[in-house]
Amino acid sequence: MRLFTQSYVYNDPWSIVSLAFLLRYPNPFASHVVSCDVISRTTSPSGTLLTTRLILKKGSLPKWFPAGIVSRAETWVIEESEVDPINRTVRCRTRNLDNVRIMRVEEYVSLQEMDGSKTLQRTEARFLSRFGWGLTKQIESHGVTKFRANIEKSRQGVQLILDLLRESAFRPLPLGGTGTILDYMSFRRNSGPIASGSRTDNTNQS
Amino acid sequence: MAHSLSAKCTPLKQSYDSCFNTWFETYLKPLPSSATQSEREEWTKGKTKEYEEKCGKVWEAYRDCVSKAVKDKGLEQMLDEARGENPLVDVGSVDEER
Repeated sequence: MRLFTQSYVYNDPWSIVSLAFLLRYPNPFASHVVSCDVISRTTSPSGTLLTTRLILKKGSLPKWFPAGIVSRAETWVIEESEVDPINRTVRCRTRNLDNVRIMRVEEYVSLQEMDGSKTLQRTEARFLSRFGWGLTKQIESHGVTKFRANIEKSRQGVQLILDLLRESAFRPLPLGGTGTILDYMSFRRNSGPIASGSRTDNTNQS
Repeated sequence: MAHSLSAKCTPLKQSYDSCFNTWFETYLKPLPSSATQSEREEWTKGKTKEYEEKCGKVWEAYRDCVSKAVKDKGLEQMLDEARGENPLVDVGSVDEER
């Protein structure tokens, strides 16, 4: 089993970061997301919002991986999240549903309000392969390496949505749509550079 | 907006998503820090009611479409197993499943 943890601070308030996080698909940095469906959504007695999403992601196999074991490089992923607007937290757990013998990846993300105007994201990912054939360690290491590279991309995706949300709060929405932020996002997509604020980043691995 | 797992459900998904997103933005808005716990609870109750009134119908149509698609694609069992699982299962017990 390999473990990866990371903390990250967004210089934006919790409500907008959480909105961007939950609306992050689709974005140009997540072209591997084939489909994304809400399969369950309820509110708990304490007023939190519980959502389960079923996501199909495509990937690629490393060259050294034996041929003929995986018929297609696609994986069904389940994402369970809880949004607590009273305590200003989001908790999200994601894991793959198929190919779990080759490797099971579980990702836990939390978003917490910090100092009133910032947001702390904590990410923890566990990689567990039961493949055997002397490849277990190599598969897990590959998982960690890929995850480390992709976490940057996924954050760029959230950052892009965040920038669009932030801009839309100060500018009128384009006419002719349903008047939601998404009209604005589709209007703005692929145009303009991505603004980036100052961030603190901390990575560690065990 | 991202596609649904079934092309048939994509238009319903898009209507539902835009209804939800509009509501969700207001659900996340901060209450003044002076609000008491019971005021906060009252507020989330009101929000839940508002969501059901605004998005309840389109949600049902979308959900029905997706659950049928999940069955048609043979994903139902995999999904049920995953959702019935204890989220706090530790790695040791995963190993023992062999």
